[in-house]
Amino acid sequence: MGTDRYAYASRLRRMDPTAKILFSAFVLGVCLCCPGIAPGLITLALMGLLSVRWGGVPGRIFVRFLRIPLAFLLLGCLTIVVEAHAPGTAVLAGVRLGGRVWGISPAGAYRGLCIVVKSLGAISAMYFLALNTPMTDVTLGLRRLKVPGLMIELMDLIYRFIFVLWETAANIRTAQESRLGYTGFRRSIASLGSLSSMVFLRAWNKADAIYSALESRGYTGALNTVAGNYQSGRLCLLLAPAVGCAQLLCCWLEVRCFG
Amino acid sequence: MAEYAIEARDLVYTYEDGTRALDGICFRAEAGKITGILGSNGAGKSTLFLNLNGVRTPHAGQILLAGEPVTYNKQGIQRLRREVGIVFQDPDNQLFSADVYRDISFGAVNLGLPAEEVRRRVEWAMEKTGTASLREKPTHALSYGQKKRVAIAGVLVMEPRIIILDEPTAGLDPQGVSDIMHLLTHIRDQMGISIIVSTHDMDIVPLYCDYTYLLCGGEMKAAGTPEELFSHPEILRENHLRLPRIAHLMEILRDKDGLDTEVWVSTIAQARREIKRMMEQNKDTAG
Repeated sequence: MGTDRYAYASRLRRMDPTAKILFSAFVLGVCLCCPGIAPGLITLALMGLLSVRWGGVPGRIFVRFLRIPLAFLLLGCLTIVVEAHAPGTAVLAGVRLGGRVWGISPAGAYRGLCIVVKSLGAISAMYFLALNTPMTDVTLGLRRLKVPGLMIELMDLIYRFIFVLWETAANIRTAQESRLGYTGFRRSIASLGSLSSMVFLRAWNKADAIYSALESRGYTGALNTVAGNYQSGRLCLLLAPAVGCAQLLCCWLEVRCFG
Repeated sequence: MAEYAIEARDLVYTYEDGTRALDGICFRAEAGKITGILGSNGAGKSTLFLNLNGVRTPHAGQILLAGEPVTYNKQGIQRLRREVGIVFQDPDNQLFSADVYRDISFGAVNLGLPAEEVRRRVEWAMEKTGTASLREKPTHALSYGQKKRVAIAGVLVMEPRIIILDEPTAGLDPQGVSDIMHLLTHIRDQMGISIIVSTHDMDIVPLYCDYTYLLCGGEMKAAGTPEELFSHPEILRENHLRLPRIAHLMEILRDKDGLDTEVWVSTIAQARREIKRMMEQNKDTAG
């Protein structure tokens, strides 16, 4: 499901998750702080390259995942880029409406482009983490980075039982469909209602059963586990300043040449 | 005299709504043996197991661990949970982590062992249960039988003296059933761990159980070796169970066709021996 499928197949799967989180967060931070277009572009290029070449994620998969937020991004940008201008302002495109010009000015277009590129750069940094690190490793890394234990345990449990509940819901839905539960709008709504209440009840029962099972294995209030051995993440930590330098260099070059 | 790994004396457990799930249960599991508990759905098997492991506290009666009565203070309960491991029927209720390795490690970590020892035990349990190849997979990508094995590994890491399995063969295909049962006999023979299984799969009982109890309505209705139990098919039938298929066939051959078969024959090997014996006898009388 989603990015996890590729994360389990990634060549970087066994690398220390703490290092991958720190690396991605660092690159993300630098990308967000640098103004202009070039830093976003170089982040996108480098993180895409690292995911594909180093992590072994298929290139078209990386592009496909990038397309998902792109739609939101373009719609969001539209509301920023399109502005009302005083009559007579030079616009790239626009219409006169009620005494003002509604359209895109060159400055607005530049600002929009900056946002799109910067967001894509940031997203690619996050995708590097998500496509190369299974969810359980991410939470383990966060735990090592001293994120509160309660939050981590909740994330772990929610992640595990999404699949269990999803399967339960799918089974109930199949059972309903096989008895014509989804023919017609009214019946669909009724079936969906009983499905939701059933899933809720099952979840409630399951929580009880899981608590018993945890207790029988000596649970005393903390879900402490030991993870398998990870490979060193030193390479990732060494790469961080290198990518950071590339980002800053691009930023500086852009300001110098076009600023 | 036989040594008993765990024993329950006059155990009573009543649920909050007044249902008496256990009504004066007397039960003992011999050390180093597989003890079967036969019972239909709702007989009280799961409640008994939760009592034997200290998750539930009996309202009357006693539990003895290796001959010593269990005390219900913190240490006593901890000791009980350390010595008695439960593998629940639905592995999805037991596996709480999406990471196989970390789920298996949970019980060992709770024993307060150092990380290196935990790792050693996890590796050992994965090797014993044949789950080492599953370590790179998330829990939700495993098959039902694989999840069951991981759940067993998660109990083995605690190195208990007794392992209880609630319906270990339910929902498995024939190959899965024989794999799990072989694993259990291996655990019994190689590691000397006493095993208690609940089941209503009658055909596996004579093959794997050393001793059996018949539980119904919160009471122990009968006890004995599988052969002893199958000598009284009427008790089984009264309690919503049946004879193993082979034993049923032998019963019909005896009652309807007047063949001189022994009462307790309930496995293919025993039946084969029995049929050969009768053929020899025939030859002798004919000759």
